[in-house]
Amino acid sequence: MRLFPAIDLKEGRCVRLRQGDMAQATVYADDPAAQARAFEQQGFDYLHVVDLDGAFAGKPVNAAAVEAIRAATSFPVQLGGGIRDMRTVEGWLGKGVSRVIIGTAAVRDPDFVKSAARAFPGQVAVGIDARDGWVAVEGWAETSSLAAQDLARRFEDAGVAAIVYTNIARDGMLTGIDWDGTIALADAVSIPVIASGGLASLDDVRQLLSPRARKLEGAITGKALYDGRLDPAEAIALVRGTRAA
Amino acid sequence: MSVAIVDYGSGNLHSAQKAFERMARERGLNTPVLVTADPDVVRKADRIVLPGVGAFADCKRGLVGVPGMVEAMTEAVRGRGRPFLGICVGMQLMAGRGLEKETSAGLGWVPGDIDLIRPADPALKIPHMGWNTLDVTRDHPVLAGIPTGPQGLHAYFVHSYHLTATAADVVLAEADYGTRVTAMIARDTMVGTQFHPEKSQTLGLSLIGNFLEWRP
Repeated sequence: MRLFPAIDLKEGRCVRLRQGDMAQATVYADDPAAQARAFEQQGFDYLHVVDLDGAFAGKPVNAAAVEAIRAATSFPVQLGGGIRDMRTVEGWLGKGVSRVIIGTAAVRDPDFVKSAARAFPGQVAVGIDARDGWVAVEGWAETSSLAAQDLARRFEDAGVAAIVYTNIARDGMLTGIDWDGTIALADAVSIPVIASGGLASLDDVRQLLSPRARKLEGAITGKALYDGRLDPAEAIALVRGTRAA
Repeated sequence: MSVAIVDYGSGNLHSAQKAFERMARERGLNTPVLVTADPDVVRKADRIVLPGVGAFADCKRGLVGVPGMVEAMTEAVRGRGRPFLGICVGMQLMAGRGLEKETSAGLGWVPGDIDLIRPADPALKIPHMGWNTLDVTRDHPVLAGIPTGPQGLHAYFVHSYHLTATAADVVLAEADYGTRVTAMIARDTMVGTQFHPEKSQTLGLSLIGNFLEWRP
Protein backbone atom coordinates (compact mmCIF):
# COMPACT_ATOMS: atom_id res chain seq x y z
CA MET A 1 0.00 0.00 0.00
CA ARG A 2 1.13 3.48 -0.72
CA LEU A 3 0.11 6.93 0.49
CA PHE A 4 0.38 9.65 -2.12
CA PRO A 5 0.64 13.20 -0.78
CA ALA A 6 -1.19 15.60 -3.11
CA ILE A 7 -0.24 18.93 -4.58
CA ASP A 8 -3.05 20.68 -6.46
CA LEU A 9 -1.79 23.58 -8.56
CA LYS A 10 -3.77 26.75 -9.18
CA GLU A 11 -2.00 29.77 -10.64
CA GLY A 12 1.37 28.33 -9.67
CA ARG A 13 0.47 27.79 -6.02
CA CYS A 14 -0.56 24.80 -3.85
CA VAL A 15 -4.24 24.97 -3.05
CA ARG A 16 -6.95 22.71 -1.69
CA LEU A 17 -10.48 22.93 -2.99
CA ARG A 18 -13.72 21.79 -1.45
CA GLN A 19 -15.62 19.39 -3.71
CA GLY A 20 -13.69 20.70 -6.68
CA ASP A 21 -15.09 24.20 -6.46
CA MET A 22 -12.46 26.61 -7.80
CA ALA A 23 -14.19 29.49 -5.99
CA GLN A 24 -13.45 27.79 -2.66
CA ALA A 25 -9.69 27.46 -3.03
CA THR A 26 -7.50 27.76 0.05
CA VAL A 27 -3.87 28.54 -0.66
CA TYR A 28 -1.58 26.34 1.45
CA ALA A 29 1.81 27.10 -0.04
CA ASP A 30 3.18 29.61 -2.51
CA ASP A 31 6.09 27.40 -3.49
CA PRO A 32 5.00 23.97 -4.79
CA ALA A 33 8.61 22.81 -5.19
CA ALA A 34 9.32 23.49 -1.51
CA GLN A 35 6.13 21.67 -0.57
CA ALA A 36 7.11 18.68 -2.70
CA ARG A 37 10.56 18.63 -1.15
CA ALA A 38 8.98 18.65 2.31
CA PHE A 39 6.81 15.65 1.39
CA GLU A 40 9.86 13.78 0.11
CA GLN A 41 11.79 14.55 3.29
CA GLN A 42 8.87 13.33 5.40
CA GLY A 43 9.38 9.94 3.75
CA PHE A 44 6.66 9.77 1.11
CA ASP A 45 7.81 7.85 -1.96
CA TYR A 46 5.36 8.97 -4.68
CA LEU A 47 3.80 12.38 -5.29
CA HIS A 48 0.35 13.08 -6.74
CA VAL A 49 0.05 16.38 -8.61
CA VAL A 50 -3.01 17.94 -10.23
CA ASP A 51 -2.87 20.85 -12.61
CA LEU A 52 -6.26 22.32 -11.65
CA ASP A 53 -6.13 25.16 -14.16
CA GLY A 54 -5.13 22.58 -16.75
CA ALA A 55 -8.19 20.46 -15.96
CA PHE A 56 -10.44 23.41 -16.77
CA ALA A 57 -8.43 24.65 -19.74
CA GLY A 58 -8.05 21.17 -21.28
CA LYS A 59 -4.30 21.70 -21.66
CA PRO A 60 -1.30 22.12 -19.33
CA VAL A 61 -1.26 25.46 -17.51
CA ASN A 62 1.03 24.95 -14.51
CA ALA A 63 3.94 23.41 -16.40
CA ALA A 64 6.51 25.69 -14.76
CA ALA A 65 5.43 24.60 -11.28
CA VAL A 66 5.56 20.92 -12.27
CA GLU A 67 9.04 21.34 -13.68
CA ALA A 68 10.13 23.10 -10.50
CA ILE A 69 8.78 20.18 -8.46
CA ARG A 70 10.66 17.70 -10.64
CA ALA A 71 13.87 19.70 -10.33
CA ALA A 72 13.58 19.94 -6.54
CA THR A 73 12.80 16.27 -5.82
CA SER A 74 13.76 12.79 -6.92
CA PHE A 75 10.67 10.76 -6.03
CA PRO A 76 8.26 9.70 -8.79
CA VAL A 77 5.39 12.01 -9.69
CA GLN A 78 2.00 11.18 -11.14
CA LEU A 79 0.18 14.07 -12.78
CA GLY A 80 -3.37 14.77 -13.86
CA GLY A 81 -5.26 17.74 -15.22
CA GLY A 82 -5.66 18.79 -18.85
CA ILE A 83 -4.06 15.73 -20.41
CA ARG A 84 -6.20 15.15 -23.48
CA ASP A 85 -3.90 14.29 -26.35
CA MET A 86 -0.85 12.18 -27.12
CA ARG A 87 1.41 15.21 -27.52
CA THR A 88 0.66 16.24 -23.93
CA VAL A 89 1.25 12.69 -22.65
CA GLU A 90 4.59 12.56 -24.45
CA GLY A 91 5.45 16.04 -23.22
CA TRP A 92 4.90 15.25 -19.54
CA LEU A 93 6.59 11.84 -19.65
CA GLY A 94 9.49 13.45 -21.51
CA LYS A 95 9.79 15.95 -18.68
CA GLY A 96 10.27 13.12 -16.21
CA VAL A 97 6.73 12.71 -14.90
CA SER A 98 6.46 8.99 -14.04
CA ARG A 99 2.76 8.52 -14.72
CA VAL A 100 0.06 10.63 -16.36
CA ILE A 101 -3.57 10.50 -15.24
CA ILE A 102 -6.14 10.89 -17.98
CA GLY A 103 -9.59 11.98 -16.81
CA THR A 104 -11.96 13.82 -19.13
CA ALA A 105 -10.38 12.37 -22.28
CA ALA A 106 -10.88 8.85 -20.90
CA VAL A 107 -14.64 9.46 -21.10
CA ARG A 108 -14.68 11.28 -24.41
CA ASP A 109 -12.03 9.24 -26.19
CA PRO A 110 -11.27 5.83 -24.63
CA ASP A 111 -9.16 4.86 -27.66
CA PHE A 112 -6.79 7.67 -26.79
CA VAL A 113 -6.18 6.07 -23.39
CA LYS A 114 -5.64 2.67 -25.00
CA SER A 115 -3.11 3.91 -27.52
CA ALA A 116 -1.32 5.97 -24.87
CA ALA A 117 -1.11 2.92 -22.58
CA ARG A 118 0.28 0.84 -25.43
CA ALA A 119 2.85 3.49 -26.35
CA PHE A 120 3.82 4.11 -22.72
CA PRO A 121 3.16 0.87 -20.82
CA GLY A 122 2.92 1.29 -17.07
CA GLN A 123 2.86 5.08 -17.33
CA VAL A 124 -0.79 5.79 -18.07
CA ALA A 125 -3.44 5.89 -15.35
CA VAL A 126 -7.11 6.76 -15.64
CA GLY A 127 -8.71 9.28 -13.33
CA ILE A 128 -12.33 8.51 -12.56
CA ASP A 129 -14.02 11.27 -10.64
CA ALA A 130 -17.55 10.42 -9.62
CA ARG A 131 -20.52 12.27 -8.24
CA ASP A 132 -23.09 9.78 -6.86
CA GLY A 133 -21.43 7.07 -8.93
CA TRP A 134 -21.62 9.06 -12.18
CA VAL A 135 -18.47 10.18 -13.89
CA ALA A 136 -17.68 13.90 -13.79
CA VAL A 137 -15.60 15.64 -16.46
CA GLU A 138 -14.18 19.07 -17.39
CA GLY A 139 -12.58 19.80 -14.03
CA TRP A 140 -15.66 18.24 -12.38
CA ALA A 141 -17.87 21.04 -13.71
CA GLU A 142 -19.99 18.55 -15.68
CA THR A 143 -21.48 15.16 -14.77
CA SER A 144 -21.79 12.56 -17.53
CA SER A 145 -24.35 9.78 -17.87
CA LEU A 146 -21.64 7.14 -17.53
CA ALA A 147 -21.31 4.99 -14.41
CA ALA A 148 -17.83 4.86 -12.86
CA GLN A 149 -17.63 1.06 -13.03
CA ASP A 150 -18.67 0.98 -16.69
CA LEU A 151 -15.94 3.44 -17.56
CA ALA A 152 -13.35 1.43 -15.61
CA ARG A 153 -14.31 -1.81 -17.37
CA ARG A 154 -13.46 -0.27 -20.75
CA PHE A 155 -9.81 -0.30 -19.75
CA GLU A 156 -9.64 -3.85 -18.35
CA ASP A 157 -7.02 -5.22 -20.71
CA ALA A 158 -5.63 -1.98 -22.08
CA GLY A 159 -2.46 -2.00 -20.01
CA VAL A 160 -3.61 0.86 -17.79
CA ALA A 161 -1.33 1.14 -14.74
CA ALA A 162 -3.91 2.35 -12.22
CA ILE A 163 -7.28 3.99 -11.70
CA VAL A 164 -7.40 7.01 -9.44
CA TYR A 165 -10.94 7.03 -8.09
CA THR A 166 -12.23 10.22 -6.51
CA ASN A 167 -15.56 10.65 -4.83
CA ILE A 168 -16.18 14.34 -5.44
CA ALA A 169 -18.63 14.72 -2.57
CA ARG A 170 -15.86 13.69 -0.16
CA ASP A 171 -12.99 15.63 -1.68
CA GLY A 172 -11.58 18.29 0.59
CA MET A 173 -14.30 17.62 3.17
CA LEU A 174 -12.28 15.50 5.62
CA THR A 175 -15.24 13.17 6.09
CA GLY A 176 -13.38 9.95 5.39
CA ILE A 177 -12.77 8.09 2.14
CA ASP A 178 -15.71 6.46 0.34
CA TRP A 179 -14.44 2.96 1.08
CA ASP A 180 -17.57 1.14 -0.10
CA GLY A 181 -17.62 2.86 -3.47
CA THR A 182 -13.88 2.55 -3.96
CA ILE A 183 -13.74 -1.12 -3.02
CA ALA A 184 -16.76 -1.89 -5.21
CA LEU A 185 -14.85 -0.37 -8.11
CA ALA A 186 -11.70 -2.34 -7.26
CA ASP A 187 -13.80 -5.52 -7.20
CA ALA A 188 -15.36 -4.71 -10.57
CA VAL A 189 -12.07 -4.48 -12.48
CA SER A 190 -8.58 -5.94 -12.32
CA ILE A 191 -6.67 -2.68 -12.40
CA PRO A 192 -5.04 -1.36 -9.22
CA VAL A 193 -7.26 1.37 -7.76
CA ILE A 194 -6.04 4.40 -5.81
CA ALA A 195 -8.59 5.89 -3.40
CA SER A 196 -8.94 9.65 -3.43
CA GLY A 197 -11.09 12.24 -1.76
CA GLY A 198 -11.87 12.68 1.91
CA LEU A 199 -8.94 11.00 3.66
CA ALA A 200 -9.37 12.47 7.14
CA SER A 201 -7.17 10.73 9.68
CA LEU A 202 -5.12 7.70 10.63
CA ASP A 203 -8.40 5.76 10.73
CA ASP A 204 -8.60 6.01 6.95
CA VAL A 205 -5.03 4.71 6.70
CA ARG A 206 -6.03 1.76 8.90
CA GLN A 207 -8.99 1.12 6.58
CA LEU A 208 -6.58 1.10 3.68
CA LEU A 209 -4.64 -1.70 5.37
CA SER A 210 -7.69 -3.80 6.17
CA PRO A 211 -8.23 -7.05 4.23
CA ARG A 212 -11.20 -5.73 2.28
CA ALA A 213 -9.02 -3.00 0.78
CA ARG A 214 -6.35 -5.43 -0.40
CA LYS A 215 -7.10 -4.82 -4.08
CA LEU A 216 -6.24 -1.14 -3.73
CA GLU A 217 -2.81 0.19 -4.59
CA GLY A 218 -3.07 3.05 -2.13
CA ALA A 219 -4.72 6.33 -1.28
CA ILE A 220 -4.17 10.02 -1.86
CA THR A 221 -4.03 12.43 1.03
CA GLY A 222 -4.41 16.18 0.67
CA LYS A 223 -6.07 18.47 3.13
CA ALA A 224 -5.54 16.18 6.15
CA LEU A 225 -1.78 16.53 5.66
CA TYR A 226 -1.88 20.28 5.13
CA ASP A 227 -4.15 20.81 8.13
CA GLY A 228 -2.01 18.61 10.36
CA ARG A 229 -4.77 16.10 11.04
CA LEU A 230 -2.64 13.33 9.63
CA ASP A 231 0.87 12.99 11.01
CA PRO A 232 3.04 11.99 8.05
CA ALA A 233 5.54 9.98 10.11
CA GLU A 234 2.79 8.02 11.86
CA ALA A 235 0.92 7.37 8.62
CA ILE A 236 4.02 6.25 6.73
CA ALA A 237 5.14 3.97 9.57
CA LEU A 238 1.71 2.34 9.64
CA VAL A 239 1.75 1.70 5.90
CA ARG A 240 5.34 0.45 5.84
CA GLY A 241 4.78 -1.83 8.83
CA THR A 242 2.07 -3.66 6.98
CA ARG A 243 3.96 -3.75 3.74
CA ALA A 244 6.91 -5.47 5.42
CA ALA A 245 4.70 -8.12 7.06
CA MET B 1 13.31 -16.45 -37.35
CA SER B 2 14.31 -16.11 -33.73
CA VAL B 3 12.91 -16.73 -30.28
CA ALA B 4 13.74 -14.29 -27.51
CA ILE B 5 13.58 -15.54 -23.93
CA VAL B 6 13.42 -12.38 -21.83
CA ASP B 7 16.10 -12.28 -19.14
CA TYR B 8 15.25 -9.82 -16.38
CA GLY B 9 17.03 -11.47 -13.50
CA SER B 10 14.21 -13.84 -12.62
CA GLY B 11 15.91 -17.16 -12.14
CA ASN B 12 18.00 -19.51 -14.23
CA LEU B 13 16.84 -19.68 -17.84
CA HIS B 14 19.16 -22.48 -18.88
CA SER B 15 16.54 -25.26 -18.80
CA ALA B 16 14.07 -23.12 -20.74
CA GLN B 17 16.65 -22.31 -23.40
CA LYS B 18 17.65 -25.99 -23.71
CA ALA B 19 14.02 -27.07 -24.07
CA PHE B 20 13.31 -24.50 -26.80
CA GLU B 21 16.53 -25.38 -28.65
CA ARG B 22 15.76 -29.07 -28.48
CA MET B 23 12.22 -28.63 -29.83
CA ALA B 24 13.37 -26.25 -32.58
CA ARG B 25 15.77 -28.97 -33.68
CA GLU B 26 13.22 -31.78 -33.42
CA ARG B 27 10.66 -29.82 -35.45
CA GLY B 28 13.30 -29.08 -38.09
CA LEU B 29 13.19 -25.34 -37.48
CA ASN B 30 16.24 -23.19 -37.99
CA THR B 31 15.35 -20.94 -35.07
CA PRO B 32 18.00 -19.43 -32.83
CA VAL B 33 16.90 -19.25 -29.19
CA LEU B 34 18.26 -16.10 -27.57
CA VAL B 35 18.26 -15.47 -23.84
CA THR B 36 18.39 -11.70 -23.79
CA ALA B 37 18.05 -8.57 -21.67
CA ASP B 38 18.29 -6.38 -24.78
CA PRO B 39 14.99 -4.70 -25.75
CA ASP B 40 16.13 -4.39 -29.38
CA VAL B 41 16.58 -8.16 -29.64
CA VAL B 42 13.09 -8.62 -28.18
CA ARG B 43 11.61 -6.02 -30.51
CA LYS B 44 13.02 -7.84 -33.55
CA ALA B 45 12.28 -11.39 -32.37
CA ASP B 46 9.65 -13.47 -34.14
CA ARG B 47 8.53 -15.07 -30.89
CA ILE B 48 8.84 -13.89 -27.32
CA VAL B 49 8.95 -15.98 -24.15
CA LEU B 50 8.59 -14.41 -20.72
CA PRO B 51 9.60 -16.73 -17.87
CA GLY B 52 9.34 -15.81 -14.20
CA VAL B 53 9.78 -17.24 -10.72
CA GLY B 54 9.19 -15.66 -7.33
CA ALA B 55 6.68 -13.05 -6.24
CA PHE B 56 4.57 -11.12 -8.76
CA ALA B 57 5.55 -7.63 -7.57
CA ASP B 58 9.26 -8.54 -7.47
CA CYS B 59 9.11 -9.90 -11.01
CA LYS B 60 7.24 -6.81 -12.22
CA ARG B 61 9.87 -4.57 -10.67
CA GLY B 62 12.62 -6.67 -12.25
CA LEU B 63 10.99 -6.43 -15.69
CA VAL B 64 10.37 -2.68 -15.42
CA GLY B 65 13.95 -2.35 -14.19
CA VAL B 66 15.27 -3.33 -17.63
CA PRO B 67 15.02 0.00 -19.49
CA GLY B 68 12.80 -0.22 -22.56
CA MET B 69 11.91 -3.90 -22.11
CA VAL B 70 8.20 -3.54 -21.36
CA GLU B 71 7.91 -1.05 -24.23
CA ALA B 72 9.67 -3.46 -26.61
CA MET B 73 7.50 -6.41 -25.54
CA THR B 74 4.31 -4.34 -25.79
CA GLU B 75 5.22 -3.07 -29.23
CA ALA B 76 6.09 -6.54 -30.55
CA VAL B 77 3.22 -8.50 -28.96
CA ARG B 78 0.36 -6.02 -28.68
CA GLY B 79 1.39 -3.81 -31.57
CA ARG B 80 2.64 -6.30 -34.16
CA GLY B 81 1.05 -9.52 -32.97
CA ARG B 82 4.20 -11.56 -32.42
CA PRO B 83 3.44 -14.90 -30.73
CA PHE B 84 4.07 -14.69 -27.00
CA LEU B 85 4.40 -17.34 -24.30
CA GLY B 86 4.36 -16.43 -20.61
CA ILE B 87 5.57 -19.11 -18.20
CA CYS B 88 4.59 -19.27 -14.52
CA VAL B 89 4.99 -15.74 -13.11
CA GLY B 90 5.66 -14.66 -16.71
CA MET B 91 2.08 -15.71 -17.44
CA GLN B 92 0.83 -14.01 -14.29
CA LEU B 93 2.40 -10.73 -15.39
CA MET B 94 0.01 -10.69 -18.38
CA ALA B 95 -2.86 -9.95 -15.98
CA GLY B 96 -4.11 -6.57 -14.85
CA ARG B 97 -3.34 -6.83 -11.17
CA GLY B 98 -1.30 -8.94 -8.78
CA LEU B 99 -2.37 -9.33 -5.15
CA GLU B 100 0.70 -11.15 -3.83
CA LYS B 101 2.31 -9.31 -0.87
CA GLU B 102 1.21 -5.93 -2.28
CA THR B 103 -1.24 -4.85 -4.94
CA SER B 104 0.54 -3.96 -8.14
CA ALA B 105 -0.24 -3.62 -11.82
CA GLY B 106 0.67 -6.32 -14.31
CA LEU B 107 1.09 -5.73 -18.01
CA GLY B 108 -2.69 -5.54 -18.35
CA TRP B 109 -2.81 -7.71 -21.49
CA VAL B 110 -5.63 -9.87 -20.16
CA PRO B 111 -8.18 -8.99 -17.48
CA GLY B 112 -7.92 -10.70 -14.13
CA ASP B 113 -6.25 -10.79 -10.73
CA ILE B 114 -3.37 -12.97 -9.59
CA ASP B 115 -4.71 -14.21 -6.27
CA LEU B 116 -3.91 -16.90 -3.72
CA ILE B 117 -5.04 -20.47 -4.47
CA ARG B 118 -7.71 -21.39 -1.93
CA PRO B 119 -8.30 -25.17 -1.97
CA ALA B 120 -11.57 -26.30 -0.39
CA ASP B 121 -9.63 -29.10 1.34
CA PRO B 122 -7.43 -27.59 4.09
CA ALA B 123 -5.11 -30.60 3.89
CA LEU B 124 -3.94 -29.44 0.48
CA LYS B 125 -0.77 -27.45 0.99
CA ILE B 126 0.24 -24.15 -0.55
CA PRO B 127 2.36 -23.83 -2.63
CA HIS B 128 0.78 -26.23 -5.07
CA MET B 129 3.77 -28.36 -6.12
CA GLY B 130 3.51 -31.34 -8.34
CA TRP B 131 2.06 -32.97 -11.43
CA ASN B 132 -1.47 -32.45 -12.70
CA THR B 133 -3.48 -33.25 -15.79
CA LEU B 134 -5.12 -30.41 -17.72
CA ASP B 135 -8.82 -29.84 -18.35
CA VAL B 136 -8.91 -27.95 -21.60
CA THR B 137 -11.79 -25.58 -22.37
CA ARG B 138 -11.30 -25.38 -26.15
CA ASP B 139 -8.95 -26.33 -28.96
CA HIS B 140 -5.80 -24.34 -29.43
CA PRO B 141 -2.86 -24.87 -31.83
CA VAL B 142 -0.31 -25.00 -28.99
CA LEU B 143 -2.18 -28.01 -27.55
CA ALA B 144 -2.40 -29.89 -30.86
CA GLY B 145 -1.73 -33.60 -30.45
CA ILE B 146 -1.29 -33.39 -26.68
CA PRO B 147 -3.46 -35.81 -24.68
CA THR B 148 -5.32 -33.83 -22.00
CA GLY B 149 -8.16 -34.60 -19.58
CA PRO B 150 -8.09 -37.10 -16.69
CA GLN B 151 -6.26 -39.73 -18.77
CA GLY B 152 -3.96 -37.23 -20.38
CA LEU B 153 -0.35 -36.18 -19.81
CA HIS B 154 0.79 -34.32 -16.72
CA ALA B 155 2.20 -30.82 -16.31
CA TYR B 156 4.53 -29.68 -13.53
CA PHE B 157 3.28 -26.89 -11.25
CA VAL B 158 4.91 -24.95 -8.46
CA HIS B 159 2.96 -21.84 -7.40
CA SER B 160 0.84 -20.31 -4.65
CA TYR B 161 -1.05 -17.76 -6.77
CA HIS B 162 -3.01 -18.09 -9.98
CA LEU B 163 -5.19 -16.08 -12.35
CA THR B 164 -8.73 -15.40 -11.15
CA ALA B 165 -11.63 -13.17 -12.12
CA THR B 166 -10.67 -13.11 -15.75
CA ALA B 167 -12.88 -13.19 -18.84
CA ALA B 168 -14.21 -16.70 -19.53
CA ASP B 169 -12.70 -16.77 -23.02
CA VAL B 170 -9.19 -16.15 -21.63
CA VAL B 171 -8.90 -19.47 -19.76
CA LEU B 172 -7.61 -22.26 -21.97
CA ALA B 173 -7.00 -24.99 -19.39
CA GLU B 174 -7.55 -25.64 -15.72
CA ALA B 175 -6.08 -28.06 -13.20
CA ASP B 176 -7.78 -29.48 -10.12
CA TYR B 177 -6.15 -28.71 -6.80
CA GLY B 178 -9.08 -28.72 -4.43
CA THR B 179 -10.33 -25.82 -6.51
CA ARG B 180 -10.12 -24.84 -10.16
CA VAL B 181 -6.61 -23.59 -10.80
CA THR B 182 -5.98 -21.60 -13.97
CA ALA B 183 -3.37 -23.66 -15.82
CA MET B 184 -3.28 -21.99 -19.25
CA ILE B 185 -4.58 -18.82 -20.82
CA ALA B 186 -4.80 -17.67 -24.42
CA ARG B 187 -5.91 -14.53 -26.18
CA ASP B 188 -4.99 -13.16 -29.62
CA THR B 189 -1.34 -14.11 -30.24
CA MET B 190 -0.63 -14.69 -26.55
CA VAL B 191 -0.46 -17.91 -24.55
CA GLY B 192 0.44 -18.38 -20.92
CA THR B 193 1.13 -21.47 -18.82
CA GLN B 194 1.01 -21.47 -15.05
CA PHE B 195 2.95 -24.73 -15.11
CA HIS B 196 6.54 -25.06 -16.34
CA PRO B 197 6.54 -26.55 -19.86
CA GLU B 198 10.34 -26.76 -19.79
CA LYS B 199 10.03 -29.09 -16.79
CA SER B 200 6.91 -30.94 -17.92
CA GLN B 201 8.51 -33.61 -20.08
CA THR B 202 6.43 -34.83 -23.02
CA LEU B 203 3.49 -32.47 -22.50
CA GLY B 204 5.73 -29.45 -22.04
CA LEU B 205 8.11 -30.21 -24.87
CA SER B 206 5.22 -30.82 -27.29
CA LEU B 207 3.68 -27.53 -26.22
CA ILE B 208 6.98 -25.72 -26.79
CA GLY B 209 7.28 -27.33 -30.22
CA ASN B 210 3.72 -26.32 -31.09
CA PHE B 211 4.39 -22.77 -29.93
CA LEU B 212 7.46 -22.58 -32.17
CA GLU B 213 5.33 -23.62 -35.15
CA TRP B 214 2.24 -21.57 -34.23
CA ARG B 215 1.24 -19.04 -36.87
CA PRO B 216 -1.64 -17.08 -35.36
